[in-house]
Amino acid sequence: MNDAMVEKNKKDFRTGSWFSGVIINGILILLALSVIIPLLLPWFFVFKTRLECSYNPWSLPTQIRWSNFAEAWTAIRIDQGLINTVIVCLGAIACTVPPAAMAGYIFARYRSKVTEVIFYLILAGYFVPIQMVLIPLYKLCSQLSLTDTLPGVILSLAAFGIPFWTIIYRSFFQSLPGELAEAARIDGAGHMVTFFRIMLPLAKPATVLAVLLVFIGAWSDYLLSLILLNSQDRFTMQLRIAQFLNAYGVDHMPRYAAAAIIAAAPTIILYILGHRWILRGTLAGALKG
Amino acid sequence: MDYDILLGKPAKDKSRKKQMREIIFFKIFFLLPAVLFLAVFMYYPIKETFQLSMMRASGLGESVFIGFENYVRLFTNEEFQSGLINVFRWAFWSVVIQIPLSFFIAFSLVAYRNKMTNGLRAVYYLASVLPSAIVAMLGRFMFAPNFGIIASISRKFNWIWLDKVDFLGDPRIAFWSVFFVATWAYIGFYIVYIMANIEQIPVDIREAAELDGANRWQYAIHIVLPIISYPLRIIAVLCVVGSLKLFDLPYLLTGGGPGHATKTLGIILYQQGFVNWQYGKAAAVGVVIFLLSLIFTVAQFSWQRKEGDIG
Repeated sequence: MNDAMVEKNKKDFRTGSWFSGVIINGILILLALSVIIPLLLPWFFVFKTRLECSYNPWSLPTQIRWSNFAEAWTAIRIDQGLINTVIVCLGAIACTVPPAAMAGYIFARYRSKVTEVIFYLILAGYFVPIQMVLIPLYKLCSQLSLTDTLPGVILSLAAFGIPFWTIIYRSFFQSLPGELAEAARIDGAGHMVTFFRIMLPLAKPATVLAVLLVFIGAWSDYLLSLILLNSQDRFTMQLRIAQFLNAYGVDHMPRYAAAAIIAAAPTIILYILGHRWILRGTLAGALKG
Repeated sequence: MDYDILLGKPAKDKSRKKQMREIIFFKIFFLLPAVLFLAVFMYYPIKETFQLSMMRASGLGESVFIGFENYVRLFTNEEFQSGLINVFRWAFWSVVIQIPLSFFIAFSLVAYRNKMTNGLRAVYYLASVLPSAIVAMLGRFMFAPNFGIIASISRKFNWIWLDKVDFLGDPRIAFWSVFFVATWAYIGFYIVYIMANIEQIPVDIREAAELDGANRWQYAIHIVLPIISYPLRIIAVLCVVGSLKLFDLPYLLTGGGPGHATKTLGIILYQQGFVNWQYGKAAAVGVVIFLLSLIFTVAQFSWQRKEGDIG
């Protein structure tokens, strides 16, 4: 189904009373507020002192103090975590997307009995929960001296991301017309050149999607980094946030609020900048998967 | 007729055999990275998990083969039993609450489309994009006793009954608090997914329904629901498998407590493996998670095949 047809489907209902519309839209707005308010509420407390906050939590702050931010910053040190997280994200993209694209291309264009068997082995990997292999994965990484290193997290993330993206690339390459590759071959291009010059650029939508969603997956990863990383300076952002969560309570509300703001800020900024892409990517994935 | 000659394979002097070898080399070269990744970081660990689950193994010392003892011990262990119950309770309520709620929101967004629709959808999805550590942080911010937002509001208005509720510390309530936070975080994805599928329905079908005098909700229940039953079932399976794997949110919000109230199989696995260093038992939990998710996934596929409809 093409975009124009979907656009046509978005046409509004002709019938129905305005009253039901008001109620439904009211519910929808309330739900949206339930998402936004917890993200905004910390600003209400962040400028107060601890004492002020426990006596008058709901009055406006008497003055704007930034000291809570400084305190939360030293407790959470999200800047260090951010660098590690970005390294993990980029590494995960570099280790997930190219192998998946290459394998998907073979499964789509160079089919044989052997490749079909390998494809089903990779497909099966999509259904393996990462929890299942946590212990051996940890042991394996310590044998390869990858524990407490970012590559350990990156390689494990990649292995569990490759199956899904291989499936996506396979169906994408299958949907491309075969004549293009044949034409390139007639012009004397080798297999490699055909892939890198002709087919891969045509698969750009799939690649954009893969890069984006692998990035988000690696960005939010908690479990793998939790078991594989143990020294402070290698902690990812999520580990640092979790560490703050376990060390400091809500009883010091202003500091907690400041930490919540700092913790959520990178994700929210990225989302505001890229939500069109992220939504489009999710939609494409939703309809393909 | 030899098509290879017609297609003008690059070097004319190359023999056919050589070209075949070239293709095979190309295939191997292109498949190797993915296959290596999976073999080393997935299939080898899977084999190890099955092996470990049959052994008494800890971080140190020799591993001893003990057959199914780990499994027997697990299933007679109270903690594991409550973990299983929690996980299935979680799966049941996710399917019963989260999916209908997401369908209601998704259909409302489509049926009452206006200028806000895309913005609202983006806001709902934001909660799904937030990493679980941040969601847990916000969850505690709202639900913490004495200082949390809810406690603070209830004191402000003198609602003593609400102030007394310990959302994360009361064993009867903790499960529902965590479930509430999870629903808040997860339904954004379901909404986007269901909306995308509703928008695929051809407009003719809706016009026909309108001609027959159906209003929006009759159309939703009698026409949209059957049409998107397949994607809805996929989400149901995602919900169930997600519950089996559940770890981040309960672990960060309550650590599985109080008691075993919010213990999940994922938390038990983590604690057995990385707190108690009982590798064998942890691996057995991993096998249970795997087998249960396999059963639900296969059930979904066979269900789909029996009905003979695909997407």
